[in-house]
Amino acid sequence: MIGRDGWAGLVLLGMCAVLYALTLELKGNPLVPIGPAFYPRIVLAISAVLAALLVVADVLAQRALRPGARGREGPRPNYRLVTLTFAVFGVYVVALPYLGFRVATVLFVAALAVLLEPPRNAKAWAKVLLLAFVATAATYLVFEHYLTVLLPRGKWTGW
Amino acid sequence: MYELLGAGIANVLQWKYLLPLFFGTLAGVIGGALPGVTITMTIIVVLPFTFGLDPLQGLAAMTGVYVGGSAGGLVTAILLGLPGTPSAIATTFDGYPMARKGEPGRAIWLGVWASCFGGLLGGIFLIAATGPLARFALQFGPWEYFSLFILALSMVAGLVESSLLKGLLSGALGLIVTTLGGDPILGAPRLTLGIGAIEGGIQFLPVLIGVFAFAQIMSDVEKMGGAARVGEAVVRASTLAAAQLKVIWEILSRPFLLVWSSFIGVLIGVLPAIGGSAANIMAYDQAKKFSKHPERFGKGTPEGLIASESANNANVGGSLVTIMAFGIPGDAVTAVMLGALTIHGIQSGPLFILQNAELAYGIFAAYLIAHPLMVIILGLGARWMIGIVTVPKAALFPVVLVLCVIGAYALNNTMANVYVLAAFGLLGYAMVKFGFPLAPFILGVILGDQIEINLIRAIMSDPSPWLFVTRPISGALLALSVASIIAALWQHRRHQKRAAAATGDDADF
Repeated sequence: MIGRDGWAGLVLLGMCAVLYALTLELKGNPLVPIGPAFYPRIVLAISAVLAALLVVADVLAQRALRPGARGREGPRPNYRLVTLTFAVFGVYVVALPYLGFRVATVLFVAALAVLLEPPRNAKAWAKVLLLAFVATAATYLVFEHYLTVLLPRGKWTGW
Repeated sequence: MYELLGAGIANVLQWKYLLPLFFGTLAGVIGGALPGVTITMTIIVVLPFTFGLDPLQGLAAMTGVYVGGSAGGLVTAILLGLPGTPSAIATTFDGYPMARKGEPGRAIWLGVWASCFGGLLGGIFLIAATGPLARFALQFGPWEYFSLFILALSMVAGLVESSLLKGLLSGALGLIVTTLGGDPILGAPRLTLGIGAIEGGIQFLPVLIGVFAFAQIMSDVEKMGGAARVGEAVVRASTLAAAQLKVIWEILSRPFLLVWSSFIGVLIGVLPAIGGSAANIMAYDQAKKFSKHPERFGKGTPEGLIASESANNANVGGSLVTIMAFGIPGDAVTAVMLGALTIHGIQSGPLFILQNAELAYGIFAAYLIAHPLMVIILGLGARWMIGIVTVPKAALFPVVLVLCVIGAYALNNTMANVYVLAAFGLLGYAMVKFGFPLAPFILGVILGDQIEINLIRAIMSDPSPWLFVTRPISGALLALSVASIIAALWQHRRHQKRAAAATGDDADF
């Protein structure tokens, strides 16, 4: 039987193994006798040992767990909302270079605000749209005009 | 030193520096007052606004956020019984009862003035200690730097509450991130995983922004959908006025409490990654132990309020010492400040104060001036803060995420940093869900390159690894690293024994 920590340890062990294998392809440089693989290998080896210890500690903890012992009770986290929030953010990040900052940000702010607190009447919808336009306009004006930060332009929109 | 400080104060009092400092302090106070928004998130939001400013303007704004944020949490802690930041937890213990007893004005002003005095005492330490510590650090060679960074990492990993193993693993994971993309010695691509965008290495600011912002926002998002109840406000439109001289005298007539609590705050600030949350609780605990009337604690005694608030603001001074003298960020807030220094091409570390004395003393001056600004902002705006804390998170989070994207994008004007932000946002949330602490991870990401550079330099100077142990300062630092790990193991074991004993006691009933 393996628990949450054990799975995390196994994933980290696998990652260390893959990266360690990749360090074998790295070639040294005559200028620096200690090659570029020297330090990553030390770090990966230490990480692998720690990950293995985490797996062992978890297996021992699972064995010592009293039968019938349950995890802490509490309100169930809303993972559906978390997943959708990540998804909306992901779409925003992908869309930014195509739609440009202004269009993508209006859509993102409105979409996330609606997702987190769905509007129930026309007034709430108006507030969401106002937030989306005001937040986008304010950030655009402040960063482009006062702080000389050039925000992304859209390949499709030219904005 | 005094001439430089005087010049720094005169410099920062110019409008071009005073305005960013004021707005930074205001943002800090508001961010600190908002429950669920930490000082780290506030400084992440403010970061992109500093890109177009000169280094002192940007760092003055960030110092203001740090000072304002450390004090801002007291407003909701006192008036709602809900700490705005973790560093105001102990403020609720006596602040809220005092406000409920009909003295909200006295409670607020005690907190505000205690924050101010504690912060200024921390400032004295900051100004007095940074120079000598930096000069001491100039004696360091690569062996000592390597050992110092290892000490910082082991302390942070050992101080996490959950598990030492996870703390160490989290730090190691941070070090792995710095091995991806580029070799810091020759700059050659290394372990790029076929991703062209990271061939030059991964910058730590998008990683830090992603990890902290998403870990916090998503932890709040997963609780949304239910009825979140905010504490009952003990003050609506009533006055928060109090006799200022009387309140100030209440604090200054307890000099030992003020100085001791500030000392605890400074000490905890100097140690990496413990932060104001531990400082205010430890100072409160000490104040209770030293008090002639410990039974009054938790019922609205001014001692509790003074201890908590003076400690959390003095903590800021201590935190700034480590970054300015050694280039090691004491917490996530100073890590962002370190990033801001890097953006402006300024090398942090012991040479910082010697090579950039004007900037360093400008930061000291900004720190000192931020305190009266914080008093003015809180004095005038405390009542309005209650309105601000009701801003719905559905409106706040999208805007914060947009500012995070701008912060990452504007570093190099490339989308690559935004992709890094998104990827590490996902990783940060996963780490929180799997119980891995974020502080060692971030410190690993920040220190990784320096650890590698100093390790290689040391070995190239002299291949004997024994020098790390036999050189006195390096050996002492490594011994302290081992001691911190042993202390953490001992503490963890003792905690487990106590927990087991408590479970056994429960079973008897």
